[in-house]
Amino acid sequence: MPSTQTPPIAGAAVDPPSLRPSIDDAAIERVEPSALRARLEALKADGYGMLLDLGGVDYLARKPRFDVVYHLLKMSAQRAGVSEVGTPARVRILCGVDGDEPHLPTAMDLWKSADWAEREIFDLFGIVFDGHDNLRRIQMPYDWEGHPLRKDYPVRGPARERAPRPAFANKNNVQAGTPPSGRTLEALQDQVKRVREGGQSS
Amino acid sequence: MTMSTQPLTPEIVSQEGNAMVLSMGPQHPSTHGVLQIMLEIEGETVVKAEPEIGYLHTGIEKTAENLFWSQAQTVIERMDYLAPESNSLCYALAVERLLGITDGIPERARVIRVLFMELTRIASHCVWLGTHGIDLGAISVFFYCFDLRENILDLQEAAGGARMHPNYVRVGGLNGDLPNGFLAKLDAFIEKFPGRMRDLRGLLQANPIFQDRTIGVGILSPEAALEWNVTGPSLRGSGIGYDVRKAFPYTGYDSYDFDVPVRSEGDAYARFLVRLDEMEQSHRIVEQARRRLDTPGPVLIDDPKVTAPPKETIALSMEALIHHFKIVSEGFRVPPGDVYQSVESPRGELGYYVVSTGGNRPYRIRTRPPSMYNLQSVKGLAPGNLIADLVVILGSLDPVFGEVDR
Repeated sequence: MPSTQTPPIAGAAVDPPSLRPSIDDAAIERVEPSALRARLEALKADGYGMLLDLGGVDYLARKPRFDVVYHLLKMSAQRAGVSEVGTPARVRILCGVDGDEPHLPTAMDLWKSADWAEREIFDLFGIVFDGHDNLRRIQMPYDWEGHPLRKDYPVRGPARERAPRPAFANKNNVQAGTPPSGRTLEALQDQVKRVREGGQSS
Repeated sequence: MTMSTQPLTPEIVSQEGNAMVLSMGPQHPSTHGVLQIMLEIEGETVVKAEPEIGYLHTGIEKTAENLFWSQAQTVIERMDYLAPESNSLCYALAVERLLGITDGIPERARVIRVLFMELTRIASHCVWLGTHGIDLGAISVFFYCFDLRENILDLQEAAGGARMHPNYVRVGGLNGDLPNGFLAKLDAFIEKFPGRMRDLRGLLQANPIFQDRTIGVGILSPEAALEWNVTGPSLRGSGIGYDVRKAFPYTGYDSYDFDVPVRSEGDAYARFLVRLDEMEQSHRIVEQARRRLDTPGPVLIDDPKVTAPPKETIALSMEALIHHFKIVSEGFRVPPGDVYQSVESPRGELGYYVVSTGGNRPYRIRTRPPSMYNLQSVKGLAPGNLIADLVVILGSLDPVFGEVDR
């Protein structure tokens, strides 16, 4: 698949999360895929009741290639006013995975909301979540090929046969190309020609 | 990966007993956009519901990766088209944090940002209330709501130049200062609002038909709300007072005096009341912001690395012309790093996880779409309810499909 995408500047081999970890108020951890499941379970038991978000990043030239980013929020299921909730703790977990079809354990049984988020990462990045019970494409059509948010996926999509042009767009079809003013395309072209040749416009 | 290529068929929505599979949408009028819900029903009762999204997928995140940092804002604003300022503000805040210029944003710009965040919240809730009313057969509410929203769109147009996607909030401040005559229009709106709000409450709040349809319908317990990652008014209708404006204040929200309405019933009526109360609180913030607008001042950061010089100087100075050309043709560069920034959009916690590799284009922008997670909770809310109540549940969650599908 030829890529029409502008190559990322400064090389994707740099690892932005490791460069400036201090500008965020969340605690940031990097976890190996093998240890991910245990870490998520421990955090859930620790009161991180909300899996705020789950997203993917493709660092094309880096090893490991992908990052899956979990944003967790410490929140208990008690009815509480704004002052009781206060400023809940946030944790961001980055998990690097590699390969053309990377695998990660699902978090769906810990937080139900992981369902669609994992389907989206599978759809757009091609990362498979083992144990997910309904891992289908979610944004793209079910028979789509490729994973659009990967960096080697062209921004205009795969090369496809162009749809036939509608009749009114065909320049040879003068009848269909008659402009609303009633003047035909030929008449307009004649007029342009006369002007170009130095004659007077009628 | 065989299962990935399967369309959703009745076999996948498991069929047991007398259940029948019904596809609701994607052109159903109550879905407020393009949503398909595969329903397994027994009689009129929903046994299982599986929303199918993606009909409005436009690849905004992918498109944004191929635009300059400032251009990306134009597509990002199109996600939640009912509250454009919340998208652009959240993105601008994230990029400003990566640039390290958060503290340099002029005070007047911060006030106007808050002003438009709250105006857009009122406008968005107006659309929600109007369409929610239509779903339940209360047509006239719609006209009251859209009249009020029209005033806000006028203000948006006056300030940013466009009704729907003004692209007014920019990285570093705002596109321009408020035009002459804006404050008079704003004052007229502030004066008109309380009466309109009384009308809206009078039309629905004590209406027995409306109460019959919403009280006790679609009860979302606090446990389920956390499990399904519901945020915003829907979460606060379930008794948890989590509001990003209070929990992680941004752009000066901690200096405004406002309450966050919380109700504990967790049903569609509670979510309705929370949103109505929220509109009144937004009005309070708008009033406070209005009082701070009397002092003039700059609305764009004076940082030549990020912003183009003022238009007036371009005709007079060669340096300004070159500078302007560089900013427009090349954009600005953002130091490498990653950041998660969230704001309280009318629908809940809207977040952007932005990664920069040091270039003039964003490397990755991941959205945390509040609508998508709120909509997902339909899977937990719908079973056991009537199909007619599913319409109420959907309306009370207030999803916007530009944001669900992006």
